[in-house]
Amino acid sequence: MENAKDTFYVALRNRLAVLNPNRTMLLRGVQRPGILVEEAEAVVAMLPADVFVLRWTVLQTDVNLPLVLARMQCEIHYTTGGTMVASGLDRGRALEEMDAELLNILAPPSTPKLDYAQNPVLQLNTPVFWTAADFTPAVTLRDRITRSARVTVFAYQEPGEL
Amino acid sequence: MSADLSIRNYSPIAQRAADALLRSLGGFSVGLQIPSPVASGDAAQLGITPQTYQSLPLSPAIFRRVRTTMQEGLPEKFELAVSASAIEAQVGALQLTSADALFAQAAGVTVNGKLFLIEAVTAPQAYGQAYLYRLQLREALPQGI
Repeated sequence: MENAKDTFYVALRNRLAVLNPNRTMLLRGVQRPGILVEEAEAVVAMLPADVFVLRWTVLQTDVNLPLVLARMQCEIHYTTGGTMVASGLDRGRALEEMDAELLNILAPPSTPKLDYAQNPVLQLNTPVFWTAADFTPAVTLRDRITRSARVTVFAYQEPGEL
Repeated sequence: MSADLSIRNYSPIAQRAADALLRSLGGFSVGLQIPSPVASGDAAQLGITPQTYQSLPLSPAIFRRVRTTMQEGLPEKFELAVSASAIEAQVGALQLTSADALFAQAAGVTVNGKLFLIEAVTAPQAYGQAYLYRLQLREALPQGI
């Protein structure tokens, strides 16, 4: 399952870097596209603004197939307070922009599965594919608007794979 | 109403008084955990390459438990009072623009080897200059966004 999670994140990150090169963040001293995997970063008290945060939750498996099919739910959280230039009055527009970006980077809904634990990265035989995003209502807390989208990610467990 | 635009000369009096008070209360040293820059790459972003941290010593500092009503399942909160001169020294050493930039990078604070997460930072000022930094901390527990 880990390969599928890694592949999904890297696919979204690479697509985001192409779609909006300005959506970047400085994390652990490194400038990178504004998307991160929550479980692979330090614990923080508050969601970082203007970046996509991937949170893996539900895992289900279908064992009645030649290869075990893993079904994982990924929650993509994002929050924004708008820009300082507009004193945050554009936070609705900023959220809308992130909605559109998320829709764009989720298409096409599949990518070849890669094993990033290997060096060089190894391409596996099956793809990772996912459903359309299921957006939740926006939640306003003080000066920030937050939304999340749920995506179900599917991947076949290849023999010997983690 | 009018704004106070008078020029205030730099005066370290408040900082020195705060430092003396922190020392007299048993001020000791804590470590601000700053991530070491790692090579940007997939492995680092996926949690395959372990992150290393450098511990910046901050002294004098006072650590105490915040007296709040305890609730089941919630981590305890603590307060750390740190000398502003120690923070300024680290801001200068790392060539950062402000103390906010320093705290934004920090992954937490180690007190006697135990990691605490920074929840909030305030800096009381005298004559327009911070003389102390108050950090609200909580115990590092797995996830709690």
